Amino acid sequence: MIFRTAGQFKTSYEADQALFPIKQDFYLVLGVLLLAYVVFPLTASEFAFKALLVPVLIYSLAALGLNILTGYCGQLSLGTAAFMGVGAYATYKFMSIFPEMNIFVAIFLSGFFSAAVGVAFGLPSLRIKGFYLAIATLAAQFFLVWLFEKWAWLYNYNASGAIEVSTSSVFGITVTGPTALPIVQYYCVLIVVTLVTWFAINLTRGRYGRMWKATRDMDIAAELVGIKLITAKLTAFAVSSYIVGIAGGLLVFFWKGAAEPNLFDIPLSFQILFIAIIGGLGSILGNYLGAILIVALPVVLNLLPNALGIPIDSATLEHLNVMIVGALIIAFLILEPHGLARFYAIIREKLILWPFPY
Amino acid sequence: MGFNWKVAGCAGVLSLGVALSSSIASAAEIYIPNLSYRTGPFAATGIPLMNGQRDYVEMLNARDGGVGGAKLIFDECETGYNTNKGVECYEKTKSKAVVTQPWSTGITLQVLPRTNVDKIPILAPGYGFSPMADGEVFAWAFNPPISYWDGASMILNYISDGDLSSLNGKKVALLHLDHPFGKEPIPLIEKLAEENGFEFLPIPVGLKEMQNQSAQWLQIRRERPDFVIMWGWGAMNAGAITEAVKTRYPMDQFVGVWWSGYDGDLKLVGEKGKGYKSISWNVPGSYPVMDDIKTHVVDAGNSLLDSPEDMNSVFYQRGIVISMILVEGIKAAQEKFGTPEINAEQLRWGLENLNITDEVLADLGMAGMTVPFSTSCTNHTGHGGGWMLEWNGTEFVQVSDKLMPDRAVIEPLEKAKAAEYAESNAPWPDRSALPCE
Repeated sequence: MIFRTAGQFKTSYEADQALFPIKQDFYLVLGVLLLAYVVFPLTASEFAFKALLVPVLIYSLAALGLNILTGYCGQLSLGTAAFMGVGAYATYKFMSIFPEMNIFVAIFLSGFFSAAVGVAFGLPSLRIKGFYLAIATLAAQFFLVWLFEKWAWLYNYNASGAIEVSTSSVFGITVTGPTALPIVQYYCVLIVVTLVTWFAINLTRGRYGRMWKATRDMDIAAELVGIKLITAKLTAFAVSSYIVGIAGGLLVFFWKGAAEPNLFDIPLSFQILFIAIIGGLGSILGNYLGAILIVALPVVLNLLPNALGIPIDSATLEHLNVMIVGALIIAFLILEPHGLARFYAIIREKLILWPFPY
Repeated sequence: MGFNWKVAGCAGVLSLGVALSSSIASAAEIYIPNLSYRTGPFAATGIPLMNGQRDYVEMLNARDGGVGGAKLIFDECETGYNTNKGVECYEKTKSKAVVTQPWSTGITLQVLPRTNVDKIPILAPGYGFSPMADGEVFAWAFNPPISYWDGASMILNYISDGDLSSLNGKKVALLHLDHPFGKEPIPLIEKLAEENGFEFLPIPVGLKEMQNQSAQWLQIRRERPDFVIMWGWGAMNAGAITEAVKTRYPMDQFVGVWWSGYDGDLKLVGEKGKGYKSISWNVPGSYPVMDDIKTHVVDAGNSLLDSPEDMNSVFYQRGIVISMILVEGIKAAQEKFGTPEINAEQLRWGLENLNITDEVLADLGMAGMTVPFSTSCTNHTGHGGGWMLEWNGTEFVQVSDKLMPDRAVIEPLEKAKAAEYAESNAPWPDRSALPCE
């Protein structure tokens, strides 16, 4: 009933290939955007901005970057956090060398640095595949974090060895630093994430997206039909690292405010890989669903006992939390091994047929 | 007609409930959260510290009904030493809290700029970074009673018997965690090494190799330093001490910072660790305050301790000292502002005007348990000094008189680094809104 497609006729190829083949999809996206742009900012508390909304958006963006490489092009990467680090450190260097620079320009420019580093570490993918490539990207992970620790120029010879965010403003509004309002930072992140998502959707549906998918499904067959593997793989590495780098810049500048090198260590890479896998490889929507499950759910679970008035000490709560989230991840993967996005797709298909399944 | 017991019962419960809730609402309360880490890789050292902090506050609530007429609400928010959770906990607690106790260096760094805006004091006893001592720059941050640079200076004073020039021509290694915390003493020791002509050899231990330090100890064996100073945390300490025993490094030339003096790590090697030293600003022992905690908290079944014997550990008692510092700050603020229910800004004043003398410690039943110190507008650390503890095979015992840091050397360094921090976090607020009193 809700997803009734009766009366929606497609009279041209263009209409058949449109971004929203069904009107209801369009309304749904509109609703989500309305929620994100109007309802949340009006209702959310400072805690909700800082602990829920902003981190979910940033982690989704990083997972989206990884998904382009792993989900669309089939190249497994364990170096996501390190590429995020490249983006964050590049943004930091831009902002300290040119303090007048617009922070968004700095973040989008530093994406190119992480893209370049990503391509360099993607070169082995031309010869090795699967787990062997994962090990090669693991090398990037270890090497780059080591570099963040040892190359003092990167953190301006700070005694603390960490990078700190100075205050900067765009059009007279403070957007980074301790005095920036959480709602402003939320909007900044939201706009960047919306833009990159729109870009990613179009890219993955277009020529490059098809090239990547062909490479993922069978690289020899792809080569036989005339796809240059070198371009396909390296563009995937470049685009993926670019997005991941932007996510890294946002992470430090719009959320944390300071970062130590070991923030970009392997646990973060794994976390983002889990978001991509549980959300659904080869989908854009999945990154958001995965981030909600992995990033937001533990925070909400932490709040629950207090809200319900159940006295429980916080260490026990933390243990419980890990157990519940772990059980949920396993449950979701058993229920739908292709991730939450596939889960949603099945629900949607059923809804279109409902109440008259064949 | 019979008496309606049900109605009467309901009315009774209701009125009791009303009475209870109104009595809760009228009593003054002070909310002091702690960003604890009872889980995660550093939990082994975290648990005794958190227990000590908690039990001192619970003892005051049970024995005196709180402090100055206000009940203390001690709450823990678990971070597992994870910086993401740290942000979450800080945001969650800040609206009611009078203080933030971040515990990890990473969380401290993230929270520090925000406390200026949110107007909440940071209390980081014995951690945080050394330039925080400069109250002119860091108006909202406190790290009493001594900073890491003070600690490094005191260790060097001890191993040179108070005369740094006697180290001339010797070799001092610093086995440190390769992390902002571990790198902290390097600038000071480098400076002292240059001035006094001893060779300084920093040996980093990566976060991933904390438990396997064979490479580092091979280097120590090859270089044969006259002293090894350790700046370790969590699993690194146990790793280093077992490796030292394995390579037969003379234990009496091995000195750790106060976070490297955990009983549990030394118990692993027992007798073989005899002679290992650690600088400390608290001495474990039986003090009157410990008896009060035993009666009011541990025996009352309100403690999270596994067994009452754990009360003698250095870290548990250090947790008690940490809460004592906070409570003394609260007392000072209550006296100054004449209200039991102080707010965060008033507590900032209290922490800035701490005056913990020997008499105060004796009144608290803590004479000799920690060092006397006082803070001021310009001095947020107090620089109270400390003692050298030595592992005698079964426990840590005090082996030195009170050691003091060379403030003349450290102070210019603190000023320079504090100014540097303010510059890289520009625009850093000055103290014009918080005049010194």
